[in-house]
Amino acid sequence: MFKMAYAEIHDILNRAKLDQLPKLDISILRNVVVEGMIPYLKFLAYEMGFRAEIRMGDYDNIVQESLAGGSGIVKKDTDCILIFSKIDGLSWSLARNFASLEKEEIQNQILNIHKTITNVLGGIRNQTNGMILWCGFELPLYPSLGIGDGQIASGQSEIIAELNNFLRSSLRNIPNAYYVDLNLCLARVGGRAFYDERYWHIGRAPYSREGLAEIASEAFKYIRAGKGKNKKCLVLDCDNVLWGGIIGEDGLSGIKLSKVYPGSPYTEFQQEVLNLYSRGIILALCSKNNDKDVWEVFRTHPDMVLKENHIAAAEINWEDKATNLKKIAINLNIGLESMVFIDDSEFEVNLVRDAIPEITVIHLPKDKSVEYRNILASCGLFDTLALSAEDRERGDMYRLEALRKKMQNEAPDLETYLRSLEMVVELNLVDDYTLPRVAQLTQKTNQFNLTTRRYSEADIRAFMQAEEVDVLTLRLSDKFGDSGLVGVCILKRSKQTALIDTLLLSCRVLGRGVEDVFIAQALKLARQRKCESVIAEYYQTAKNEQVKNFYPRRGFESIPRSSDKEGWRYCISLSGPLMEEPSYFKEIRSFLNE
Amino acid sequence: MPKERVFKIISQLMNVPLDQVHEHSSPETIAKWDSFQHMNLILALEEEFNIKFGDEEIMQMGNAGVIVKSLQSKGVRD
Repeated sequence: MFKMAYAEIHDILNRAKLDQLPKLDISILRNVVVEGMIPYLKFLAYEMGFRAEIRMGDYDNIVQESLAGGSGIVKKDTDCILIFSKIDGLSWSLARNFASLEKEEIQNQILNIHKTITNVLGGIRNQTNGMILWCGFELPLYPSLGIGDGQIASGQSEIIAELNNFLRSSLRNIPNAYYVDLNLCLARVGGRAFYDERYWHIGRAPYSREGLAEIASEAFKYIRAGKGKNKKCLVLDCDNVLWGGIIGEDGLSGIKLSKVYPGSPYTEFQQEVLNLYSRGIILALCSKNNDKDVWEVFRTHPDMVLKENHIAAAEINWEDKATNLKKIAINLNIGLESMVFIDDSEFEVNLVRDAIPEITVIHLPKDKSVEYRNILASCGLFDTLALSAEDRERGDMYRLEALRKKMQNEAPDLETYLRSLEMVVELNLVDDYTLPRVAQLTQKTNQFNLTTRRYSEADIRAFMQAEEVDVLTLRLSDKFGDSGLVGVCILKRSKQTALIDTLLLSCRVLGRGVEDVFIAQALKLARQRKCESVIAEYYQTAKNEQVKNFYPRRGFESIPRSSDKEGWRYCISLSGPLMEEPSYFKEIRSFLNE
Repeated sequence: MPKERVFKIISQLMNVPLDQVHEHSSPETIAKWDSFQHMNLILALEEEFNIKFGDEEIMQMGNAGVIVKSLQSKGVRD
């Protein structure tokens, strides 16, 4: 976790030009002495590009500091309030005198702690919306009732676990407030090493240097994620990282990769990488190899946990890794500072550190493959404060986009490329299931949006029920995957004329000619509804310049405007032959064709 | 001699130039050397020399010279 010694951290901070960095205000409320943690917090902030200003609340003044009129360390612009409320300080009897407590007393103590938690959270939120990080209560290493504690209902460990549950759910009910699991820190370091009894007695400082370092690292995972500095892409070397040995020399059957030793450290490491993929982290490969050899392992080795479809981009060649990493960043369209690079070679690691300081580099020492999994799992660089459904699909979406891009570069012309995508579009009228997505698209779409009219779900429902309005939806899939519902067209009729009130496409599917199917289908629908002409509009915004000439290019005629403030209006007659649908779609499924 | 290493760590922890650290350096002569920083100094020394001080030893370490003697008494020779 911290490779440097405590003194070295002080030394680095003494020399650093901190005053040029943006400030990160951390206020610590506590009933114990944790001053030893300050250098760690400052160092972690420095690594992230910030200058931490750390303010300590008065000892054992958690409630007072949380309320307005305390010593003033909780302020409106405080970035983070870190709270240490050791159970020994909140309730000596629950912590140390549990064996002689009556049930009623236990209940009283619990209620008091509940009240404290609620008061402190309320007090802080009255003053600031800054991030609250509250360290949970540590379970006793040696419960007062000994092994009997686990056998009775509401033993000491159980009571403390329940207090943690209360704290956790109280924090969950408040925006930007999080539970920091000290018991995880304790377990990782080990109980005897986590505490320093000497300083507990000399100065009410319970945690050892190791304990302080672990807690600081854990707290910083939240701060990093809160500041949006969490990493989004993991770039992996292959030989001696994903498997033991060198594929080009040892061959498919010679590399170490299996469920049992000496291959098991690598399959376990790969599983950890796969977990990151499932959390929405983009995976890429950067390896000096023949790319055929590497992909053969991915495709045919029975113990590969990672598969080809997990990898969004790969640079497998003999060029230098710094160049290749930059290529990967361009290919995936992500920033270098959101990338983490993992390699076993000290040479490559140092080269990348020197050439691209923005990229975070993790070194996996070749002789320590058994530690690979823990090195990755403990880094916390990819942690986010919450996981959305979109996070879980992100890895796949980036992979598909990179594949399309690659094909586009290889295809001789645009139409051949579009044809090779084997696109299938599906047109339907809005229904109960698609209604929320349709409203969302009208709210969010900016670029390919002719009129930028924003509608709520209630608006769309009203259209759905209106006789003279049709809401068309468009779905797109291709040989790489399903893009989902990506287009909306709203057609309003008045006598023999239809008005295209809304025409929009999600930016995810631009440049694939989908708009030509959409408009052709809209005109077809208007004709089926017995209209004789269609009116279309374009309202300019800061973002929709690209569709300015959409209608004139498709044979619509301009209607003169009375003033510059109006939108542009166009008209097309439905009496002649209609616009043709492009031929490069594999299939056009439409409710109109049924 | 552990003396040089002790002086260096004191200079790093207290953020003072190395040539200003001597055997009589103490909380009285170095502004930043308060009780919290004393604790951090002990943690840094224990890490550097891979030893543990007893609680009473910690309380008696009044200046740099005492720290060096205390290390020597634990068998630290260089």
